[in-house]
Formats: sequence, structure tokens, C-alpha cells
Amino acid sequence: MAYQWDFTPVLANAPLLVQGLLNTLKVTGTSLVFGLALGLALALLRLSPRRAFAWPAGLVIEVFRTTPPLVQLFWFFFALPLLVGIEMTAFMAAVVTFSIQSAAFFAEVFRGGIVSIERGQWDGARAIGMNHAQALRRIILPQAVKRMIPAFMERAIELMKTTTLVATISYADLLFAANEIAQKTFRPLETFTVAALIYFVVIFAFSLIAQLLERRLAVSGESTVH
Amino acid sequence: MRWDFASVFANTDALLAGAAGTLRIFAICLVLGLGLGLVVGLGRYARTKWLYLPATAFVEFFRNTPVLVQILWFYFALPILMPFEISPLTAASLGISLNSAAFSAEIYRAGTQSIDRGQWDGARALGMRWGQAMRRIVLPQAIKRMLPALTNRAIEIFKMTTLASAVAYVELLQQGKLIASLNYNPIEAYTAVAVIFLVFLWPLVQFTYVLERRLKRDE
Repeated sequence: MAYQWDFTPVLANAPLLVQGLLNTLKVTGTSLVFGLALGLALALLRLSPRRAFAWPAGLVIEVFRTTPPLVQLFWFFFALPLLVGIEMTAFMAAVVTFSIQSAAFFAEVFRGGIVSIERGQWDGARAIGMNHAQALRRIILPQAVKRMIPAFMERAIELMKTTTLVATISYADLLFAANEIAQKTFRPLETFTVAALIYFVVIFAFSLIAQLLERRLAVSGESTVH
Repeated sequence: MRWDFASVFANTDALLAGAAGTLRIFAICLVLGLGLGLVVGLGRYARTKWLYLPATAFVEFFRNTPVLVQILWFYFALPILMPFEISPLTAASLGISLNSAAFSAEIYRAGTQSIDRGQWDGARALGMRWGQAMRRIVLPQAIKRMLPALTNRAIEIFKMTTLASAVAYVELLQQGKLIASLNYNPIEAYTAVAVIFLVFLWPLVQFTYVLERRLKRDE
């Protein structure tokens, strides 16, 4: 018995999928912004010569890199609100989790980039009278960030794939929307296939841009991706 | 708010069953993912386009879609095309294994490509065929370089096994959910699950750091 594919029920629910995709991008974008900022802060703390800064930053980075993101999400959604007595929406829990989780990975990218800048750059900045913070901001980071771009793109793509986990706490992202439509229309095959294809097209497009950038940076010998 | 882990300890049996489930699916996905990855990686390395193109399409598709989407596809969509039921374990294993195969294929490819051309030429000069040269000369050297990346993949696979809870496969997180809903203790239950994962993975992560350092020193 051959199965009759029928995509019309899925197409009829296209607005739900579009809204889902927008929500996916919203969670990804917000977590990316917070994740980058927090990641830079964690990297700088970890590089600090003071143990009291370096050690806790290292611990946060290791814990969030080592535990599964879904466990973190459940912890922030179900446990944290009880601990601190606040209401937590699925969106907030997702942004908090994915910001810290991606920050842990971004921190390592930042650290790798900063460490890769040779000593002479620091010495030169020091010689013309800059203090540590000035040297970092004006001399080191601008050079380091350029080298880190491919690794950042890779992490951002990973982040976008990780956001599908929010569907498990009922946030209406693309995957959640697909699940709803599948149950409503009794067409799981078509719905999940379409959802997978949408993810593929969006993420593959980002991957291609990343590869293009990587190749361009590789030409000028400025990549840290190995 | 008082922390009370007694309610978690009272459910040690459930957590043990969960840990067994996690280790089981981890072992399946590790073997299938890294094994199939080698096959696909060799396909990506092949010169005939009949091997190269399908392998490339496979890698690009599975690297660029989220694992959870793949798992749900195998669980809800695939049974419609198949004459048999698909269990949560099968669906989750398929999703995680195929995804890991795509990622490890790239590790194998990069590892084999990093071996100097001269090694191939030398093997050829000794009269070895492609397969022999690959198996006896190139792969043994490449494996050493790939080891840190492969252990990192293993860690990723271990973390990914939690996604099986989305199709109600009995593993650690699923058991954590169960305990939290029975005892109204999500703080303790989910903290315990997180700690168990740390205990499993921390040594593996440290081991990877050692491998990375050793590799850097040797090269």
C-alpha cells in the first residue's frame, strides 16, 4: 500500500510555521547577544591573573559545557523559579539557559583568540602608555575578534539548532508549531518533513555564509578554525 | 526554601534505571555514529562522484538540521512509511546516530586529509593497494590526530542522549521528570540529574584536555 502524500493541510497552516520560525529566530538572536557579552566577560575573568576571578569563571564555563543543555533548560524552567520565587516564562527560561550555555562556549572562543595574539602587541601598547584595559580594547580585541569570526559563526549555528529544545517546555518555536500541526491534521509525515526542510534551508544558508567568510579570512591567514 | 535530597535518594532505583537507559543509548549511538561516520567519511574522500555526492548530501543534511527534529521525524513521521512500529529507543538512536555520523565523518575526512601525500606514495611504492594503504598506513596515523575530536564527539553524544526523553525513552532526564512530578521537588530532582551528568562527563572532558595537550606537544 503506497502512502498518499498530501501537503495541503500543512500549507493551510503555513502562518503557524512562519510564526514558529520567527520565534526560533527571536530566541536565537536574543541568546546570541547575551551569550556573546557574557562570554567575553567570562573569558576576561578566566584570563585574569587573580585566582578569585579566574577560578569561578572556569567553573561556570566547565559546568555549562559539560552538562546537557536540556537538563539546564529544565533546571532553569522548573527549579530556579521555585528557588528565587519569580515567575519564569518559557521564553525567559530559554534565553537564560541558552545565553549562559552559549556564553560558556563563546568564552573559550574569546580566550583562544585573545591568547593567540602575540606578546609583542601587548608590549607595544604598554610602551605607548596604554593601561591593560585600553590595550585590550584598542589593540588586542580588534585583532582577536577577526580571527574568531569563523568559530563564532559555527557556535551561532549550533545555538540555533539547540533552540529547538524550547519546544519541550511548550514555547511556540518552529518545532513546537510543527508538533501542533501534526496532531491537528493527522499529517505528521508531511509536517515534520516540511519543518525539517525549513530548518535545513535556514541553517544551511547560515553555514554557507560562514564557509564563505572562513575562506576569505583563510586567504588573509587570519583564522583560528582548525 | 529548604533543600531536601531525601526525596531524591528515596528514588535511587528510578535514577539507576535512568542511568542504565542513558548508558545503553549512549553505547548504541557511539558505535553506530562513529562506525557509520567512518563509512561516510571515506565516501566523502572518494574520487567517484557516485560515492562522493551521496556522502556529501548526507553530511550536509544531518549537520544542518537539529537533532530533536530528526528524532521526532523518526518517531512520528517514519512509522507512516513503514509497516512496523518504531520504539522511542529506535527513533532516538536513529536521530542521534545519523547526526553523529555526519559530524564524525568530517573528523575522519579532515584527519585523513591531514596525512602527508608522501605516506600514500610510500605505501604505493611498496605495492599496497588503496585499501591497504588506507588501513595500514594512513588511518593508524590519522586516528591519533583525530582522537581529541572523536572524544569530544563522544561527549556530545552523551549529552544528546537527553533528547530521547522527548519521546519518553527511559533515561536519566526522563526519570528526573518523573521524580519531580511525583514528589513536587523539581529543584532537587533536576539538580541531582545535572550532578549525575557532571560525574559521568567531567572525567571524559579532562581526558580530552590531556589528549589535546599531548597532541599539541607531539606535533
